[in-house]
Amino acid sequence: MKQAERQAVLLSLIARLRERGSWCGETHIQKDTFFLQEGCDVPVEFNYIMYKHGPYSFDLNDELTAMRADGLLTVVPAEPYGAHLYPSEMAPTFLARFRNTVGRHAAAVERVARHMATKNVKELERSATALYVLRSQPAATTDVLAAEINRLKPHMSIAEATVALAEVRQFIDLAQSPA
Amino acid sequence: MKPAPGVPVVGGKSRAGFRLMPIRGERIFGSFGVLRRAGVGAMSKPLHEIRDPIHNFIRLETPERKVLDSRPFQRLRHVHQLAMAYLLYPGATHRRFEHSLGVMELAGRVFDVVTNPNYSDHEVARNLLRSYQSDFGYWRRVVRLAALCHDIGHLPFSHAAEKELLPEGWDHERITDDLLRSDEMTRLFKDIKVNPDDVAKLALGPKKFGPKKHREATFDPWEAILSEIIVGDAFGVDRIDYLLRDSYHAGVSYGRFDHFRLIDTLRILPKPGSDEPALGIESGGVHAAEALLLARYFMYSQVYFHHTRRIYDIHLTEFLKRWLPGGKFATDIESHLRMTDNEVLAEMRAAAEDPAHRGHEPARRIARREHFRLLYQRNPDDQGVNLKSAEMIHAHAASRFGAESVRSFRYTETSNPIEFPVLMPDGRTGSSLNTSEVLRRIPVVSVEYVFIDPAKRADAEKWLGGNRAELIRTPEGAEK
Repeated sequence: MKQAERQAVLLSLIARLRERGSWCGETHIQKDTFFLQEGCDVPVEFNYIMYKHGPYSFDLNDELTAMRADGLLTVVPAEPYGAHLYPSEMAPTFLARFRNTVGRHAAAVERVARHMATKNVKELERSATALYVLRSQPAATTDVLAAEINRLKPHMSIAEATVALAEVRQFIDLAQSPA
Repeated sequence: MKPAPGVPVVGGKSRAGFRLMPIRGERIFGSFGVLRRAGVGAMSKPLHEIRDPIHNFIRLETPERKVLDSRPFQRLRHVHQLAMAYLLYPGATHRRFEHSLGVMELAGRVFDVVTNPNYSDHEVARNLLRSYQSDFGYWRRVVRLAALCHDIGHLPFSHAAEKELLPEGWDHERITDDLLRSDEMTRLFKDIKVNPDDVAKLALGPKKFGPKKHREATFDPWEAILSEIIVGDAFGVDRIDYLLRDSYHAGVSYGRFDHFRLIDTLRILPKPGSDEPALGIESGGVHAAEALLLARYFMYSQVYFHHTRRIYDIHLTEFLKRWLPGGKFATDIESHLRMTDNEVLAEMRAAAEDPAHRGHEPARRIARREHFRLLYQRNPDDQGVNLKSAEMIHAHAASRFGAESVRSFRYTETSNPIEFPVLMPDGRTGSSLNTSEVLRRIPVVSVEYVFIDPAKRADAEKWLGGNRAELIRTPEGAEK
């Protein structure tokens, strides 16, 4: 995917998240983009690593900064979640140039927004970590994966990890089934 | 008798270039003076001090000095910190060597502040520090060594030509990683009881250590905070040192800020909207943080990405592509250690005088100041019409004057860390953006330049002046 197309997909995701009640802070955008990429196979192609609170992409952080530089995103300070990132006034004009790209991924964007928009930071961490571990070891059993999640994030119990894995599996199954 | 490598000679010089004088119980500070006791070998003295124009004294312990004496570190004496910026700012001839020492000094100071129990006001900090406090001595050493070694993989002329002159998948951080795991460094680290993996992880940070070479790498909150001390976007000491040092040597004052106040007010705090630990600041340090981020903005826009500096980098890259075997730097350790700015400069001087040399043309442009001149730069008015205005101008100029007569450069800041946690006087924490009006208004640095051969400059300027509005309106970027 070209950079401009990737930016259009991100803008459409942020717009849908906002409509569905997300505060659209960077944490939300990070985890939701991870779901879009790894849960719905939308090829936005960001490198993620397991960071302090779950999967994090420094590439995506760079991309969001570049979008601010180009005037496509606006930073709006707010309590208690920190800065919100909203599409700017220029965004609709930009998106209009990429109608096909946005349209091609609209269902995936909607699915992620519906699933993730109202999650708090702990839920985001839990879901995204479960997806990360699942993608890293696709053939492993739930018990092995839950233990791995607990090893990576000791504050997440095996029981919580198991629930998160089931939820993520359900999301992937739905994403792969015909709309 | 010739001393063993790394062993200093009283009254002479060590490999590191330290002048070691037999002084009785006195401190002696030369440009690289060493503190020592009479009758005791300098390496047995636990503390050494080095004069520095930014931090006055840089103090290091004997194990750290062993690393300082290593070949990878000593090579940094011959790598300019700001590439060829000295052609614009004649004072900017400083090297990666002294910058790395400065980063180590600051890393130790920040470590001491953020791990001080008296400053661990927030539960997030207390919880994190509790698990590691028995190992603070070890981790302090790792942080300082990682800071000292974070730049050892730099190519000649630092960042000037890295992307185009290394094979696919390589960058200077990957070379740093290889060097830290080389036989020489592994032996050293073993000797001083430090795990090279820990040093590499903190020196490169999650952005470079993770995705490039160790895809499955994880950073727990402790490792993430420690690497943030060194390479963090907001308060990393790498940045603090280079802003202060580069502005000092370039002779520009806008890179300065109150780093003493800044460092004293750094705290481990929860990231806004989360309980994720991050480096933040006590409210009393917010103005110092504003000054740091403004300094960064001014230095990026007026020194690091000054258009003349960038065109020299472009000509330097062209020279290196023509001169280096296969147009690339070798990435093996021995070749890397042998290649410094000195080797490149010597060849470039010769090439500038020799029309038969394949690098003659770019070398001559640098040596005789016949570099390409600025024709166009990105600006808000044109961006409002077309985000790709500079690309349009470049394409049209290349078509009209020939691709060989046009060059371009584009850079957008990859991080703009205006949001970080702030500890309020009443114990609450919040976002810096709610505390500081200034931070909200610091722009993201983004520059784009189009350059033209000086021989065609007058024609090109006339052409652009008459056609600018039409040229940037050309449709672009949209999907087919």
